[in-house]
Amino acid sequence: MGRPMTDSQAYELKSMPRAGLQQLFALLVAQEFRLVGPTLSDGAIVFDEIATPDDLPVGWTDRQAPGSYRLEKRPDKRAFGFVVGPHSWKKYLFPARETLHRATFDKAANLWRQSDDNAVATAFIGVRACDLAAIGIQDRVFSGGEIVDQGYSKRRRASFIVAVNCLQAGDLCFCDSMGTGPEATAGYDICLTEFDHTFLLQAGSRRGEQLLAQLPVTAAAAHERDKLTAGLAQCRGQMGRRLDTDKLPGLLFANLEHSRWDEVAQRCLACGNCTLACPTCFCYSVDEVADLGGQPAQRERSWDSCFSQQHSQINGATFQPAIKDRYRQWLTHKLASWQSQFGTSGCVGCGRCIAWCPVGIDLTEEVAAIRNNASEPLSMPAYRPAAGAGSSGPFATLFAAAEAPVVAVTAETADTATLALKMPQAYRYRPGQFNMLSLPGIGEVPISISGERQGIVEHTIRSVGKVSAALSKLQANTAVGFRGPYGSAWPLAQCRDRPVSIIAGGIGLAPLRGVIRTLAAQQRQSEHPLRLFYGARRADALLFTRELSQWRRSGLRVAVAVDRHTPGWSGNVGTVTTLLRRKDMPARGLYLVCGPEVMMLAVVRLLRQAQVPAENIYLSLERNMKCAAGHCGRCQYGPYFVCRDGPVFSYDRLQLLFGKRGF
Amino acid sequence: MAVEQQTARPRLGVFKLTSCDGCQLTLLNCEDELLLLADKLDIVHFPEGASPGQPQGPFDLAIVEGSISTPEQADEIRQIRRCSRLLVTVGACATSGGIQALRNFADHEAYRKAIYARPEYIESLATSTAVAQHVKVDFELRGCPIDKDQLLELISAYLRGRAPAIKNESVCFECKRRGTVCVVVAADTPCLGPVTHAGCGAICPAFGRGCYGCFGPREAAATQALAAQMKTMGESEQQILRAFRLFTAASPAFEQESRRHE
Repeated sequence: MGRPMTDSQAYELKSMPRAGLQQLFALLVAQEFRLVGPTLSDGAIVFDEIATPDDLPVGWTDRQAPGSYRLEKRPDKRAFGFVVGPHSWKKYLFPARETLHRATFDKAANLWRQSDDNAVATAFIGVRACDLAAIGIQDRVFSGGEIVDQGYSKRRRASFIVAVNCLQAGDLCFCDSMGTGPEATAGYDICLTEFDHTFLLQAGSRRGEQLLAQLPVTAAAAHERDKLTAGLAQCRGQMGRRLDTDKLPGLLFANLEHSRWDEVAQRCLACGNCTLACPTCFCYSVDEVADLGGQPAQRERSWDSCFSQQHSQINGATFQPAIKDRYRQWLTHKLASWQSQFGTSGCVGCGRCIAWCPVGIDLTEEVAAIRNNASEPLSMPAYRPAAGAGSSGPFATLFAAAEAPVVAVTAETADTATLALKMPQAYRYRPGQFNMLSLPGIGEVPISISGERQGIVEHTIRSVGKVSAALSKLQANTAVGFRGPYGSAWPLAQCRDRPVSIIAGGIGLAPLRGVIRTLAAQQRQSEHPLRLFYGARRADALLFTRELSQWRRSGLRVAVAVDRHTPGWSGNVGTVTTLLRRKDMPARGLYLVCGPEVMMLAVVRLLRQAQVPAENIYLSLERNMKCAAGHCGRCQYGPYFVCRDGPVFSYDRLQLLFGKRGF
Repeated sequence: MAVEQQTARPRLGVFKLTSCDGCQLTLLNCEDELLLLADKLDIVHFPEGASPGQPQGPFDLAIVEGSISTPEQADEIRQIRRCSRLLVTVGACATSGGIQALRNFADHEAYRKAIYARPEYIESLATSTAVAQHVKVDFELRGCPIDKDQLLELISAYLRGRAPAIKNESVCFECKRRGTVCVVVAADTPCLGPVTHAGCGAICPAFGRGCYGCFGPREAAATQALAAQMKTMGESEQQILRAFRLFTAASPAFEQESRRHE
């Protein structure tokens, strides 16, 4: 984040009379910070703009139970004598709605201009340890990878954090189980501990220390330190909930068919409240919004959730149709696959999802129930940290699209066309990767790269939705927005010195064409066979037919089948799997597969029966890729984001889930 | 859905079946955008907004309000479908049958006799039904009435040739995005938000009352789980029945649920 890590040991604990709080607020305001903090509204303690300590919920506390939240009077005048409410700080750092950019093109920079992101310098007053951990987790998601969310990190850099230690726990708190609290240990500028007549203050950063020096503080006395220690210990003892995290990720993934999922699905409303109240849930949707007038088209993002159908929808198909699928996706992501994706649990133990679930579903109870009659934990894919935040050059800024001229459009079939785009000089791609192509006001879609010749990059697009239809109708001498390349590539280096078989179905040949061209060019020198097995629904849906003949001439063994016979077709009829014979499937061969998931599933089954090791099989998956950075959550596939960790995966990484319904 | 020729403005027809006119009024309420709309669309037929109309079409876009509750309307909607490239239904009546679909749960014949002095002059169907039960509908815009911004989004998406950014999520999403404190959790107020289609912007909960489902059921509406929760909050069977049997009583998910509480 470019922020100094908090090192609380370096700063001395201070004591301040209660009245000093007003001075702290005044100093922050003098430094032009907007103050946001807890305040009473609509029967709850929410986060909103505040001006003075009088705006804090002085003398109030909250009583929480599953599906229930009530305010109560406290016997004292404490301002922070409550736990957490319906809001979390993400409403400021990751706003519920945000204009990402306006589609106005900056010719000089050759870039679509980004929205002016209004990062208002903001001081967050009263951030609990669990919420500090939550901010740390969203930092990892939005700015800890190769691609950085510019708006988020600007807002984060413009924030000043005043944390508060918790000396009392609520009935739904379990930060102690998650190792995130109750003591604020890092990530703040100043940390407060509230007693009846005094505050203890601890600086956590240089600027916090500088501010603290202007307050009426004295060194904390020994009895005050003891009181803090005792208060934290008492808080730990009061935790209303407990979550056993031992081997939890592997345990959940080993028990995806546990009967408890069906049971909870009977109660779950799939309303999405748990995810929206959660301080770490980060999924979002991106929509083009254009109005009727002369205003430029805008791209907006808004909070989304795995409990909405549209979140897991691609071309009309939904990956998580049942409520059971959605709850299981949420819980396994939060507590399990989050570890593989970000190296941390997605849960901080704040209890919001329990309180704000209208039917009071309690994840600690659900996990405990799954632990009953559970199968042994699986081993989960390890977290792979990114090489460096913002390391991928001009595209490190998310959603910044450049413009590429369309130099040629080739009709491939009735519903498929190839767009040839002139890319900038520095553009390099590896076969298997994809670009995000966009048309202002219409939308943006991931399109795999189907080949490249002298800086002209091809995209073969089947018209299935509005954007792909509009893209395939483009003509030469127009332009499209693009960003990329993204994602993983086919293992070209491993293709040397062994037989390689390429198995493609339908449009799945497109992302493989780059590999085939490269290997076909080397085929004359190779002693190992290179085979292509290609299937399509009908003869008129076969792609690149002229190139298929060229590849045959250069020594490639090409077998083609169509599902349905049509007049004039004299070749094989049947699915692509009918072309695969045992002798064509040597165990040491390498297999590159792309097509509909059901076809890849059948191919993998055959290959595994032929004793081909899982790591010799590579698949390219297509999911609902939207941001291409592993941020929006739409293309999640268990421990992976298809856009970031895929689309090309070796099968040993996918075995965990491939073919499982509801993922 | 794409507009091929910018020069020829798409021809718009606005129709009304059994309804209160509130949804087509939403189009007239687009005061700031009305001139722009008239500029981009050729408003061929819109009896409430312009006369004379040309109901015979053809239409590039037909916007239909109201439910089918007479034999005449059942014919009319087929005629509209035949002369329209794209047919969009708007409002609770057109998408679910509306409040008048309460008759579907009653004895139509007895009502007719009890209410009208000369019932033989009344030619109405025993049920009030959604347009989609009669003809193919390309898009359904929910609400009682519909939301102005959603209508504008629908029309601009049509003009631009993209999918409208209209979500089928629950009302809870909108409550949480606007920061409304949940009325169920914080005030024990019965609320249909978790099972109701979003689009209104979660107006009612923002004013401290529960959602009464005027946008109809969302996809995957877990009505049984919600009814169980309403029961634990002390709602009677009759109250639960009435909650589900209101403006969108004849939508399949709500109808099924209300029948469970008869």
